[in-house]
Amino acid sequence: MLRFFALRLGRALLTIVLVVTFAFVVLRLSGDPALMIMGPEAPPEVIAAFRKAWGLDEPIWIQYFDYFGAIAQGELGRSMRDGRPAIALVAERIPATLALTLPALLIKVGLGIPAGIYAALHRGSAIDRAVMVAAVAGFTVPSFVLALLLVLIFAVQLGWLPSGGQDSWRHAILPIFTLGVGGAAVLARFTRSAMLEILGQHYIRTASAKGVPWRAVVTNHALPNAAIPTVTIVGFMVGSLIAGAVVVESVFSWPGVGRLLVVAVANRDLAVVQCILLLVALTMVTSNLIVDFLYGFLDPRLRTRTGSA
Amino acid sequence: MTAPLVQARGLKKIYVTRRGLFGRLSHVRAVDDVSFEIAKGETLGLVGESGSGKSTTGRLVLGFETVDGGEAKFDGAALPAIGSDAWRAQRARAQMIYQDPLGALDRRLTILQQVREPLDIHSIGDRAGRDQVALELLRSVDLSAEHGRRYPGELSGGQRQRAVLARALATRPDFLVCDEPVSALDVSIQAQVVNLLCDLQAKLSLTMLFISHDLRVVRQVSQRVAVMYLGQIVETGSADDLFAEPLHPYTRALVSASPAPGRRSATRIVLQGDPPNPANRPSGCAFHPRCPNAMPKCRVEQPVVSQPNATRSVACHLYADGEAGRSAA
Amino acid sequence: MTQVVISNTEARARKKWRWPALPTSVVIALCWIALMLVLACFSEVIAPYGFTKLDLRNRLAPPLTPGHWLGTDELGRDVLSRLVFSIRVSLLIAFGATIISATIGTTLGFLAAHFRRWVEQIVLMLADFQASMPFLILALSVLAFFGNSLVLLVGLMGLFGWERYARISRGLAISANAQGYAAAIRQLGAKPPRVYFTHILPNIASTLIVSMTLVFPEVILLESGLSFLGLGVQPPMTSLGNMVGYGREYLTRAPWIMLCPAATIVLTTLAISVIGDWLRDKLDPTLK
Repeated sequence: MLRFFALRLGRALLTIVLVVTFAFVVLRLSGDPALMIMGPEAPPEVIAAFRKAWGLDEPIWIQYFDYFGAIAQGELGRSMRDGRPAIALVAERIPATLALTLPALLIKVGLGIPAGIYAALHRGSAIDRAVMVAAVAGFTVPSFVLALLLVLIFAVQLGWLPSGGQDSWRHAILPIFTLGVGGAAVLARFTRSAMLEILGQHYIRTASAKGVPWRAVVTNHALPNAAIPTVTIVGFMVGSLIAGAVVVESVFSWPGVGRLLVVAVANRDLAVVQCILLLVALTMVTSNLIVDFLYGFLDPRLRTRTGSA
Repeated sequence: MTAPLVQARGLKKIYVTRRGLFGRLSHVRAVDDVSFEIAKGETLGLVGESGSGKSTTGRLVLGFETVDGGEAKFDGAALPAIGSDAWRAQRARAQMIYQDPLGALDRRLTILQQVREPLDIHSIGDRAGRDQVALELLRSVDLSAEHGRRYPGELSGGQRQRAVLARALATRPDFLVCDEPVSALDVSIQAQVVNLLCDLQAKLSLTMLFISHDLRVVRQVSQRVAVMYLGQIVETGSADDLFAEPLHPYTRALVSASPAPGRRSATRIVLQGDPPNPANRPSGCAFHPRCPNAMPKCRVEQPVVSQPNATRSVACHLYADGEAGRSAA
Repeated sequence: MTQVVISNTEARARKKWRWPALPTSVVIALCWIALMLVLACFSEVIAPYGFTKLDLRNRLAPPLTPGHWLGTDELGRDVLSRLVFSIRVSLLIAFGATIISATIGTTLGFLAAHFRRWVEQIVLMLADFQASMPFLILALSVLAFFGNSLVLLVGLMGLFGWERYARISRGLAISANAQGYAAAIRQLGAKPPRVYFTHILPNIASTLIVSMTLVFPEVILLESGLSFLGLGVQPPMTSLGNMVGYGREYLTRAPWIMLCPAATIVLTTLAISVIGDWLRDKLDPTLK
């Protein structure tokens, strides 16, 4: 068991290392980092100090390690727009993003998983077909289209809800709904197919033939086995919360991390971009680790020492 | 006397496995000090259970895997390194056919295309004539042009194995290793394919190493037979001699288990104990836990190979002092 | 030599190839895609106007105005024409990207399967990395650092999804190498290129193609999203996502500017998914 976690932790660290390397490589390839991070208008002494701090006059290997060191110490540069540290800028936007993505996650899980399970258990029924249609829609309708459609209907035509900004709790309804419904549809479809695959297995039929009531078969056999792939995909959704929020925040002018990223990319505000990139990597890796941890509980095969991975 | 075509001397092949990431290493001696020779035009049968190392021996002798000890020679020369140009060129002279013909064939190409392929690979003959040659090859294994137009999935097991055989013979190899070629076929089809092999053997003066666990088939095809147990050869001799008068207790058990008409039906010898596991070799003589004639010496010392007469050899303590065939109860 | 008689029981007769029975949804999907392809190929001929042509007297004209079947936008540009050209750009990028990523992925997968050891480890590591980071974020980072150009965009999209092809091709190549026809061919003396391209690739092509139909719609969605945010295809070039981005400003007054390209995105993605699902069922029922 310990070995299992050590491996997973190693892999997580490796991913972070790769992301930092990716940022480093891309940064170096695209021009003079000092100018890019500090901005062309920065005074020459600031640039020189930056160069010194980041060791930009030293060989590339040293620079690489220094880069790591700097990141670890939280020195991620300053935003070009207002000169404030990138980390501060990003950090102050995180609550806004969470205000959207966490409720959305609840919708995805709370709506998607039960819908998927129900659809699998009542195959061919009206709900099953509805779930499949919704799932397809969730996949093919991009979030910005869904967002704009909702704005068109609710904000423009019906005038019930505001279309942008962050002034009141009402402003959060449409963005949360957009995020949640799309993800719920995908999760529903996924859960449905995972359940269907398990329900088709021999041991389910055996349990049922033994006389175990169907409800118990589902609860004790089908659901726990379906939990494993479902947990994986929920973990992935958690890890990509920020990525999902990028478009929605932009459409609704919601001042969160996603919107910050878009603006930063447009302005080539590299310190901020770099910071968000690392934040996403961290989120992803952490949620994967938690998922792996949960695996250990959910899948007894992983608990035994001699089980082959 | 001309030099033998295939020579194996002290062949060893060890597989190293590790239990888990930090577990102990375990060495599996798949082939342990195997020596034999095959003369030109001769067929040597290699008999044994699964886990005896016979398939591995076949692969070592062809140079499909590297030996961990000893050496194998083909036509007097050492085997070239795997994957080298010389190795690839040698493929035209030495080939192997396996138990599963469907796995060895590409489902997307017709039989004719696949039988023709070795000619393309080794650039034999001119391009225009290769289809003709391939058709000839098909005919030599009793497959028609119609069969050639079909895909592997559309043929029966016996037909597929014959197609594989045709492909293996495309480059007119001198040496053919057959690794359980008929084990997956129905018994009636087995007979057809085995008869075909015998015919081809005679017509093309093929040198063959015929690997199987089925004694009756081996007997039909081979002139000489070697019996393997847990990576070692325990007995060799001519096919007739071996079956008429098996020396090694293991051979005796094998022979008694396979019915043959005209032989006095002796009581069947049933081996006790666990089937052989190469990962867990018994000490001394590997067969001693199951041997009905085991002596205290057998647990401690590995038997040396002795030759009761010119054409037989056996590795057993019962014959260790050179006496010929001490009969056991 | 005995003559073998071919009896019907021994060898199955060769089946005649017939048109496979297509479900209605697939037929409709194919028709839509065909329409899209026609529009993309013959944009200049079909579009009534150039996509930058201004008609300032007819600004924000609703659909079914004579001369402008789908209306005009805020600069008087004909929506239908812009739509047709956008389809071409979006489809081109999606095609290019899919083919690039399939090529890169399959090649890396084959290299990993062939050389094993450290080459394989590196490829797997990269694949893991790609799969674990949301591609949108990576793409945005690259765009921030490198600026924007069409070549960069296509190249960037071409890195989307390569890890899926790599995993598939590596897995199938390894199993083919271990105990299948590939091992047999190699033992006949064939050189590696022959093994991979004449034998392995045709056998895994159907699986790869199914993957391509799954990746293709995602590329369209990705590119649309980026263009919508103003970070993808840049003006004066127009793409579907671009148009939706423009239409956002005029959502209240002229929703058709946004609705037409949005509908096209949804329908095209839907059509390819339907075809992909059907292909997957047909070609490889073992895949899920």
